[in-house]
Amino acid sequence: MRLPDSVTGSFLVVLGAAAAYGGYILPPVPGQPVGPNVFPLVIGIGLALCGLAIVFGIGHSFEEEQELVPLEDGQVAAQQPQGKLYGLRALLPPALLLFYVAAADRLGFIITAAIMVYVTSTALGAKGKLALPLAALSPFAIHLIFGKLLRVPLPAGLLPTPW
Amino acid sequence: MLKTLIDAFALISTWEVIIAMFAASVYGLVIGSLPGLSATMATALLVPVTFYLSPIAAIATIVAASSMAIFSGDIPGALLRIPGTPASAAYADEAYAMTRKGQAELALGAGVWFSAVGGIAGVLSLMILAPPLAEVALSFSTFEYFWLALLGLMCATLVARSSPVKAIAGMFLGLLVSCIGIENPGGVPRFTFGITDLFGGIEPIPALVGVFAVAQVMRAMLTPEPPPLPRRKFGSIMAGQWKLTKKYHWQMTRGNIVGIIIGVLPGAGADMAAWVSYAMSKRFSKEPEKFGTGHVEGLVEAGASNNASIASGWVPSLLFGIPGDTIAAIAIGVLYMKGLNPGPTLFTEKASSMYAIYLMFIIANIMMIPLGIAMIRVAAYILLAPRSSIMPIIMLCCAVGSFAIGNNMFGVVTVAAFGVIGYVMEANGYPVAAMVLGIVMGTMVEQAFVTSLIKSDGSILPFFERPVAAILAAMAIGALLWPVMVWGWRKVKPVQAAAATSR
Repeated sequence: MRLPDSVTGSFLVVLGAAAAYGGYILPPVPGQPVGPNVFPLVIGIGLALCGLAIVFGIGHSFEEEQELVPLEDGQVAAQQPQGKLYGLRALLPPALLLFYVAAADRLGFIITAAIMVYVTSTALGAKGKLALPLAALSPFAIHLIFGKLLRVPLPAGLLPTPW
Repeated sequence: MLKTLIDAFALISTWEVIIAMFAASVYGLVIGSLPGLSATMATALLVPVTFYLSPIAAIATIVAASSMAIFSGDIPGALLRIPGTPASAAYADEAYAMTRKGQAELALGAGVWFSAVGGIAGVLSLMILAPPLAEVALSFSTFEYFWLALLGLMCATLVARSSPVKAIAGMFLGLLVSCIGIENPGGVPRFTFGITDLFGGIEPIPALVGVFAVAQVMRAMLTPEPPPLPRRKFGSIMAGQWKLTKKYHWQMTRGNIVGIIIGVLPGAGADMAAWVSYAMSKRFSKEPEKFGTGHVEGLVEAGASNNASIASGWVPSLLFGIPGDTIAAIAIGVLYMKGLNPGPTLFTEKASSMYAIYLMFIIANIMMIPLGIAMIRVAAYILLAPRSSIMPIIMLCCAVGSFAIGNNMFGVVTVAAFGVIGYVMEANGYPVAAMVLGIVMGTMVEQAFVTSLIKSDGSILPFFERPVAAILAAMAIGALLWPVMVWGWRKVKPVQAAAATSR
């Protein structure tokens, strides 16, 4: 997800300008010169200026390249599988959280959580021998802590817990 | 004074506090020792649990977990050359070199011992610095608060190990996030786009959990698994530590002081303290050539430094609500929730609670020695747990924890969104800590700024008229201009060098 500075900088310029405009059109407090509009205006302008500076590469010389720990003689570098879709794997955790939002009320906490655990675990390279028991047991453990002890109202859905 | 102290003892000697502290210590030790799970993340995931505890027990869990996690990050650093938390990264190479020389016990023992000493030094600084500063702070008006907050935000950008422009941009992003909602001077819905869930604004805690926990799980998806820890038998861990203390007492003291100063500075936390102290130790050492070959001196100084910064990071947090580091940023959220609103009056009105916090810090650092030794002995088993069994649990905790904050699903959406934001920012060199500081301090900065503007009737002059305000203003503007001067200096220097060689 390493994007060129010109892309992230331009995005900040647009965001900053939008924030400044959004602040500018807010209704003022009657009879007072400053209201809710001042702060977003200042921040938006600042953000846009920063974005411009980033586009033009100002301050780039301060950035330290990521230090890579040199490998020891005994260790072998793990082969990085490369592919077009490989980078998209990073989006799996937020996608699973959104899945939780969408499904938890209908399926219930236990089933949704089990699916989340199984998918995350498998994506990180776990075999079924580990992922399946983990998916079966951990939702109950979490439910016990949060649902039972801390009384968070977790949705019961299709599979209510025995307690 | 004595009565407050007795009250404080009564506050912390309940079963709830004792159990919470012990459990949080074990939790902090485990999370800190697992590579990729930082002390900040450990603290962020604790927050939902603290809702259901009494105020003192809630703070006890944060104090214990954060202190322990900073130490236990040293364990995989020494044994695997992979720091468990960023705060141990500065000297992981050195500690690993010691392990290869057969001095693993000495390296890890130094980690425990000097962490505990550093932690206690940090508490002492908190006890000594905070009350007189509170006296001064009582006379602060909104002008001073505005400059102080600005100074805090600028410090965070100065110490970021990245481009200062990107750090400032990150800070502005955080402030922009804090604009969302109806909690603004006019009470109008701002940047809510008609979404009712946004009316209440973005809660800092889910944002923090997303940025620190979800983003880390996202990174884990793309990085290879760290190698397992080789099984080994340890000799006596504390042997020789007293000798080291006597030999390197000056380095230890210097580490403590540097750690305290960096902890007090907003935005700079334990990792920065460790880097600075390690570099300082090497610079002033009598035998700098030994550094990097398994020399304990740097370990002593940096280990004493990073734990000292944890406690001193609470000084600006308790006094002004300006977090000294990301862990303190989370602690501020908890303080507000528990009715201990940060501010100078906290030290007079809730004095016994303050003493309770000091005592808990001291107890946590004493407990660290036996618990830390036990942790070192069982570390080989804990580090056997593969990442694929820990990350899914972290995910579940993120989902349930963020739901628990307001008992609504919007918290979970916030966590997911900030996971993506944190991941993209980190990957492109935008320091996440600066944004976090912006989110936490946004409301306060805006309030101080707008109130000051209303008081001054739109004029800029009153911002500089009061003496303390003028000093703070000069410091804040200096902090803003500092990178520009460094940049200019770097431009000028090569020209001079070129001129010198051509002559």
